[in-house]
This record gives sequence, C-alpha cells and structure tokens, in this order.
Amino acid sequence: MAKLMDIARVVRGKNAGALLLTLDVMFDDEETYRKVRDSGVLSPRTIAPLYGVTDNEVAIIPFDVAKAIKITVPRRVRSGAPGDTDVYGAQQHVPLMMIDLPD
Amino acid sequence: MLPIRLMATTGILGYGFTEEAFNAGVAMKPDLIACDAGSTDPGPHYLGSGTPFVSRAAVKRDLGLMVTAGVEHGIPVMIGSSGGSGSDAQVDWTLDILREICAENNLTPKVAVIRTEQSKDFLQAKCADGKIAPLGPIGELTKADIDDAVRVVAMMGPEAYQKALAEGADVVIAGRGTDAALFAALPLMRGADPGLAWHLAKIIECGAQVVEPREGQDCVIGTIYDDYFTVEPGHPDRRCTVTRVSAHTLYENPEPYRLKEPDGTLVTDRCLFEQLSERVVKVSGSRYEPADAYTVKLEGARQVGFRTVFIAGIRDPILIAGIDDFVVSCRQRIARDVGALGIAPEDFTLSVHLYGKNAVMGELEPEIDGPVHELGLLLDVLGRTEDISRAVLAKSRYAFLHTDFPGRMCISGNLAIPFSPSDMHVGAVYEFNIWHVMECADPMECVRMEWMSPEEVRAWRN
Repeated sequence: MAKLMDIARVVRGKNAGALLLTLDVMFDDEETYRKVRDSGVLSPRTIAPLYGVTDNEVAIIPFDVAKAIKITVPRRVRSGAPGDTDVYGAQQHVPLMMIDLPD
Repeated sequence: MLPIRLMATTGILGYGFTEEAFNAGVAMKPDLIACDAGSTDPGPHYLGSGTPFVSRAAVKRDLGLMVTAGVEHGIPVMIGSSGGSGSDAQVDWTLDILREICAENNLTPKVAVIRTEQSKDFLQAKCADGKIAPLGPIGELTKADIDDAVRVVAMMGPEAYQKALAEGADVVIAGRGTDAALFAALPLMRGADPGLAWHLAKIIECGAQVVEPREGQDCVIGTIYDDYFTVEPGHPDRRCTVTRVSAHTLYENPEPYRLKEPDGTLVTDRCLFEQLSERVVKVSGSRYEPADAYTVKLEGARQVGFRTVFIAGIRDPILIAGIDDFVVSCRQRIARDVGALGIAPEDFTLSVHLYGKNAVMGELEPEIDGPVHELGLLLDVLGRTEDISRAVLAKSRYAFLHTDFPGRMCISGNLAIPFSPSDMHVGAVYEFNIWHVMECADPMECVRMEWMSPEEVRAWRN
C-alpha cells in the first residue's frame, strides 16, 4: 500500500503562530492532487488521532491553485512553553506523511 | 503614481542576502528597501528577554548595505519588528547598530523610530473595557495575565510607516508590526488597489521563499500596477515560479484564502498566478475586505522559571532494552534525593527526552518499536529559582549515571557524557501568555513615534 510520502512532492509542518500547527501537502500534478483531495483519506477523522486532537479541531483546506492541501490543528503545547518538543513545529509532519492511501 | 516597486532584502534582518541580488535590485530603482526582522517561530524567550535571535554582526552587515544604498540613492529604508520581537529593548539594540553604521560610513539620515511595546496600564484599561479577545485556542485575557507578562507588544498596521514616509524619513526603525504592513504601507498611501498591495506585501515579506533554486535567503522585488503585480528575484540567475509564489500564500498561515490584517482581510480565492517570463510571476485578482473594527494582535510573554539541561548518550543494549522502567526508577530516586534538599515537587519539573525513541513526537510517535542501538538522553529541569534548577539537575544527572537496573553489567556508569562541565545553565525561561487581539479606536493608539536627527542618531547610546 502506498503512503502519502510516496506520491506527494512536499509534506511539511510549521507553526502558524504559537498556538497552531499547520501542515501542507503539495503535489506535482493535477491528477494526483485531485485524487487525494477527493478520496477523503485526508479527513478530520483520519488526522485527529495522529495529532492528539478532536475531529472538530482539525481544519482541512484544499488550495487548488498550488495543488496543495492545508491541514491546521491546535498545538498540544504552546510553542516554546514547558513540555514543548518542537518550538518551530518543523518536524511534526511525519505521521501525516506515513498515512496509507487507498489503492 | 503607479507602478510602485518594493525590494524585500531578506526574510529576516540578519538572515543575509547576496550583494549581487541587492545591487541588481537597487539598479531597478525601487521606491522602498525594507525588511521585517520579526518572527515568533524561535519561541517566547526573545520577547520575554528582549534579546535578538540573530547576531549583531549579521544585522550590521544587512542593515549596513541597505542604509548605505538607501541614503546614496534617496530610497527610504524601513525595518519592521526590530530585533525579532519588536520590543523597546530590541528597537534600542537596532538603533545602536544603526548609529555604528552611520558613524563608520559618515551617513546622516533622518530617522523615524516607531515603538509598539504596550504599557500595562493601557492594557488593563483595554481589558477592563472588553476590547481584548483571544486569538485562537487560548483563554480570555485576565488582569493577572497582563501583570505576569514581562513584555507585551502590539502588531501594528501600516499607518505609522505611512506617517514616517509622508514626513520624509530616510530610515524607519520600527517595533512589532505585521510583516505585510511594512510593504503594504507605501503602495496603499499612493493609492494602489488594497487587495494587490496586501497580497504583494504578503508574498515578498519572507524574501527568497518564493525563489528557485532555493539557495538561502535573498532579495525579492515586487512591482505593483493598476490591476496586477509582479514578483521577481533580485538575483539574475534565479527565478520566481508560479508554484513557489502560489504556495507561499500557504506558508505559516492557518488558512490560505483569508489572511487577517488590522483593518481588513486579504482574500485570495480568485487569484490568478501567471508565469510572465522565465523569472517573473504575475498575480491578479486579490481582494481586500475592510473590517468593521481596527484590531491589532498582542503578543506577551511571562517568565516561568529557570532551565538547566544535560545531554548524554546511552549505548548499553541491556539498558536500552529496559529504558522505560529505568526512567521510572531514576525519577523515584530523584524525587527522594531532591526532597532531602528541601525542594518541593511543585518547585520544579524534570522532563526526560529520549532521542532515538520518541523525543520529537512524544506519545504521538507512530514508530515506537523500531530497533535502537543508541539513545540520546536530554534532561531538562525547569526550576522556580536558578538554585533549584541547578540542584535538581545535578541530582538527576547522578541518578541517571549510577542507578542500577536489572541485568546491569556497566556498573561504573550508564551514560556517555560528552562535555565537562556537563550541566548547561540556560537561565530564565518564558512562555507566551498573551496571544490576543485588541480593538483600537485609532490605528495610532498603540504606537509611539519619535524623530531623530542625524546628530541624534550619531550620539545615540543604548
């Protein structure tokens, strides 16, 4: 079974301010982008458990012009506060890139 | 008045740019040379302590080239979010570097200084008046939050920049502002379309993020016309592409279509990105929706204690196999040893990070059972006082080094410690405790401006 990392060009994460983590998945071609966008594999139900949040805290926004899908979740710990492990939020994309895609 | 040309020299003042790109950009006769120095990405320490996250040498190099060229060619130079967080202390630090640049190069610019650090009395009055609201997942602001904060800055819009430019500033050194306000200010005051002005500003504020090939930070030039704008790199061998420019609208924003600014929202859902030439991207269709109220973001940090850290390697396979139980028994021993010193459990926290296992993702780590031959151990003690922090770390180091575990063969020590001294004293630690929006009756309400003559700049002392 293919993983998201096998077909995406970019899977990245970064703070969107100190309270939110935002993840971007970008694709090289229109067909792959549309297939993933329309497959439902990136949904609040699949993302929430990866980031320890509830379904209604996950925002998923396709951005057609960049062939990208943006996912924003609350950070579990504020950036740089006691208990944080990743101040910039730059290495939190891995559970997302490992998501299995339907055949 | 159109077109208007803006040069963003680099993503953050001190991150650098090539002289080749800068000189090519200057030759295109920009109406403004600017750079935002700010970011909250490095965390709350820099606002809390009022210190920069870039070096003085790097800022002096970048600012020196900008100011020298600006004065020579009569192009205004503006720095936003000075020193990283834009607090008064960081504005002062930047002014001190400017003084040195002016003295060494015999420059005599007219300087506008804009400060956006907020007084606690002002914030308390705003808070009591119900004018401050959470920005995202954080609680309502309380009186205690304001009292606890070491520093609070407001992220201003373009108005103070516009006032400085209208009154003839050669150089503007500003406190915290939105990245885009720094670049939107000039086109807006000259009557450019607000949607295009804000979108162009948003795209170039991060410097060469929109440039290929990605070889580090560099200058980017934006030019705004009646019904579109263009983006291109300063460097002749690099190019802007539709992919990079359109993708940048996503970067570090919680959503791509709507970007909030103090007096409205940039809306990009109907934007058209076109490759105008190999190096130049054309953008049209951006819109700006004015807001009912003028709001500025507030950022504040409070001190939460003092940190001491310790790093070591664990190579012993028997210890690695039983590492979770080992950490539990070390914690028990530390609690006992620290208690004997009269330090209460609520006076400190000890965090144990195991690199090679789950230090990055914590309990969310999906690959917890992979084979490991070596672990990185990071002990992180946050103490109520510096003395407590040091004492707890020292006891923790000893416990991890010498606590027994089942099957132990390495009875002379459990850790490979890379340094002497081993304990690193980080000092005061802060956290963001204010991340809110404040309604302003007037855009200049959260801003203080002062002017400095060339003589005053040269005589300035931090």
